[in-house]
Parts: sequence; C-alpha cells; structure tokens
Amino acid sequence: MPNIAIETRGLTRRFGTQLAVNDVNLSVPAAGVYGFLGPNGAGKTTTIRMLLGLIRPNAGEVRLFDESLANNHQSLMRRVGALVETPSLYPHLTGRENLEVTRRYLNANRDLIDRALGIVKLTADAHRRVREYSLGMRQRLGLALALLNNPQLLILDEPANGLDPAGIHEMRDLIRRLPVEFGITVFLSSHLLSEVEQVANYIGIIHQGKLLFQGTLADLQAERREHLTIGVKQTEQALHCLTDAGWQTHSREDGLLTVAVATPEAAAQINSLLVGQGLQVFHIALTQASLEDIFLSLTNGKTAAQLLERKAA
Amino acid sequence: MSLIRALHAESLKLKRTLAVRMVFVAPLFIAALNFFAMYERRNITPEFDMWDTISKISLSAWAVFMMPLLITLETALLNGVDHGEKNWKHIFALPIPRSSVYAAKLIMAQLLIAASTIFLVLINILVGLALMRLRAEMANAGAPPYGWLFKHAALVWLASWLIIAIHTWVSIRWPGFALALGTGVGGVFFALFATSAKIGKYYPWLLPINVLSAERLNMALWLGIVGGLVASVIGCLEFIRRDVA
Repeated sequence: MPNIAIETRGLTRRFGTQLAVNDVNLSVPAAGVYGFLGPNGAGKTTTIRMLLGLIRPNAGEVRLFDESLANNHQSLMRRVGALVETPSLYPHLTGRENLEVTRRYLNANRDLIDRALGIVKLTADAHRRVREYSLGMRQRLGLALALLNNPQLLILDEPANGLDPAGIHEMRDLIRRLPVEFGITVFLSSHLLSEVEQVANYIGIIHQGKLLFQGTLADLQAERREHLTIGVKQTEQALHCLTDAGWQTHSREDGLLTVAVATPEAAAQINSLLVGQGLQVFHIALTQASLEDIFLSLTNGKTAAQLLERKAA
Repeated sequence: MSLIRALHAESLKLKRTLAVRMVFVAPLFIAALNFFAMYERRNITPEFDMWDTISKISLSAWAVFMMPLLITLETALLNGVDHGEKNWKHIFALPIPRSSVYAAKLIMAQLLIAASTIFLVLINILVGLALMRLRAEMANAGAPPYGWLFKHAALVWLASWLIIAIHTWVSIRWPGFALALGTGVGGVFFALFATSAKIGKYYPWLLPINVLSAERLNMALWLGIVGGLVASVIGCLEFIRRDVA
C-alpha cells in the first residue's frame, strides 16, 4: 500500500463567484488519523465531497493510494468508506437492513454486516427500526455503513456532530481503534481542535478555502512558544522601563504586560529589573500559547508566530 | 452486474413502504368502480357484452387517470427514500456506476406499474366472475377474454414508459412531493384539453389510452416506448453529471 493515502494537487472549487476551496494540496499519510480542521464554512465538506467524487473540482486533482480519482472512481471507492455529515439511512428499515442495502450495492459478503455491527457495538439493536434509534446510534450505524466494505481509507465529516458527551467519547474511542486494530487510514474533519487533537496524529488546518497548516500534531505543538506575563501596579512605568531595556513589551487590555521571552533566566532578569526600579510586581508567569490559540490565530489569517507577537503585544 | 446489484438494493428499500401497498390499492379503486357500475346497471339487453364493457372501462380509467397518478406516487416514493435522509451522497460514494443507480430506479418504477396493471386485470376478472353469479342477466357472459385483457394491459403499460421516464427524472432531480405531484396532476389535468387538440394524440399522458384505439395504436405504442427510452437516457445523463450538494 502506498505511504500516502490521499494526495490533492491544486484542488480548487468555486460556487458562483465564491472560492470554496482554493489550491489545496493535501498529503495524508496511510494508517494514521488525519484531522482536517477549520471553522464552519472553511471548505472542509466541499473538500471531502471532492475526495469522494461527489462534486468535481474546477481545477486540480485528487489522488487516492497514488491513483487518480477521476480515472478510477469505481475501483478506488471499493477501498474507501465515508460518512459525510449526517448518516444516510432508511428510517423505515432496521439497522441490519440498512447495512444490507449497502451490501447489495457492493455485492459484498454477508458476514461483513455482522463484523461492521460488532465494530460499532450495534449488534444487539440491529433488529430495531432506525426511526427508533438515538442520534448516537444513528451516527454509529452511519459509521458501520462506512466500514462495511472493510475499507483501507475512512473519510468522516464531522463525525461527532450532534452527539452528546457520551456519544462523542464512544466515537473518539472507535476512531482511535480503527488504525490500530484494522490498519485503516482515517481522515476526519472537525471544527473543534480539542476533539481532533485527542485522536489525530496529523493535522491540516483550512480556512476560507486555503490550507494554512499541514503536519504532525508535534509540528503544531512546536509552535507553542513561551512568553512572559507580568502584573505590575505601575503599568506605564514598567512598560517604558522594559522597552528602554530592549525588551519587546506590550500592554494588554486586562492591564497585564507581555514580554516576548522564552526562558526562566530572562524572566528572573526582568523581575529583578522591575523590582530594582521600585515597581510593585504582583504577578509574573511564563505561559505558552495553547493549540486552541494557534488554531484561532491561523484561522484569523495569522500565523502562529504572529499570534505570539500579538500575545506579547 | 451492477444493474442487478442496484435493483436488488432498491427492492429492499421498498420494504414496509406505501409504494408496495399502492400497487394493490390503486387497481382496487377501478375494480370497485367497475363492480358497482355494473351491479347497478339497468336495462341489460341480450346483446350486452359484460366482459367487453368491464375490460374497456377498467383499462380506460386505468390508462387515462389512475395509472398516471400511480406513476406520480410511485416514482416520488421510490426516490423520496433517498432524498429524505440525503442518501445520494452515500450511494454516489459507493463503487457502483450512477447509470446503474438511475436505471434501477426507472426499472423498479416500471416493474411496480406492471405489477399493478397485472393486478388490475386479475381483480377485474374476479369482478366479472362475481357479477356473473350476482346478476342473472350476466350469468351467460362466457369466459373472460384473458388474451385481450393481458395484451391490452401490456400495451397500456408499454405506452406509459414516457410518463414513467419523465416522472423518474422529475422525482430524482428535485426532492419533495410538490413538484412531482404538480407534474402528475398537471399532466392528467391537461390531458382533458389535449384530447381535443390536433396534436393532442402525441401528449405523453394520453399515449396509454391511445393504444386502445386501433388507428392510434402504433403511434402511441412507439412514441411511448421510444420516447420513454430517449427521455430515460437524457435523465440519466443529467443524473450522472450532477454534483451532490
């Protein structure tokens, strides 16, 4: 199996004059979980629809397992399972019958239905009609539909949408198990970084149709640089004192000062300087930008480095 | 074969749906109409041909009114199950050609209408047999005209392919019953005016009844079949090229 499960080159899609996806170059490694992050309306679902051939790009190419999707849609879709937004179900049929409909389309082995039901833990409720299912059960059945054909790649669009905390927890556990137990590559979209960082090894951040970041979770975490937050009674004096001393210092709306430093030694030096000037320091702390801050910064059109400057400003 | 797979899937989707029940309910209306009209009939002369009357009333009412409305309902229900929960996005991401999915929807609609038309013939034969027992004047009506009934039922069905093709495309293209129902009711309603127009004989909703007329049989039959196939191909091409929102 190729090392890259999904690759897009210059993927672009317009709706009228609106550029929904703009020159996106995804590279999704096989056998991991790739979190595709972005706020609502960022272009996640449009990208996913292009990955599945549901809509055609205006420009660019989608390659799955190193094969062009445009030329090999049927054969590639045999290796892909998908859950796009809400599950596609027939409420008048039972859970098992819903899987049977898809099995018939696939001409797959009947045993796969029991396997899929087992993975999502719906075996006991498989005989019930879907209209009686809770939202969480419907979401799990949607996942079972996506898993039915034993796919190598699973594409999930906002799989935790509408789930209660227990449902989100179940879904998260399930997604974590898939690469480990079944060797499946999972590509999942979400607008919640907190959700993605718990399951993903790789992250792509999209905003206004542009891919702003792509890399491992560790790469993103490396962007978390420290800065110093200072509380001092004489704010204006402290600001001048530190600026005159050559520190890049800014005052915040809450009255605290931030200084772009990264080491405890520098923090101690600044503290000594302020106290030496007779200023009353009541708070001093080295803090890191959270992943959430970095995500918000990126999706506000700034880089992580700019975020830290903003924090220090 | 992908078409067989798609038909197999469609057959399961019909389970517990109104679409299956209506296959039997719609002909019952015509049979009931026939039964009461014949049972209450007065002044029956010795020349009266009960089977001819029953056969023509049932097939005419079926062809011009009930079947077009049933086609509206069946195609809307067949495609409504996939519009309701936005299932197209799931189906289109499966390794099955869209053309097979479209053809399966179309063929399933044709099969349901065929089954309902066959049931109409059978139930009207039962009506005739019942009348032979209930009305002494009709007791000597003889054997049912099986050959004529099944042959003309088949012609009516074949001539309806164009209506089925139009409705399949409308109901697969737009979600909801409003447009499908509007097309169906509009089609039947304007048929009343089309009968008096010079080119009315070509009106799709009049083709099924036109096959019951000897001079229009060939035109109506071929226009129904060929027009149905052409409309199906056009609808299928649009379906294949469509983006799934």
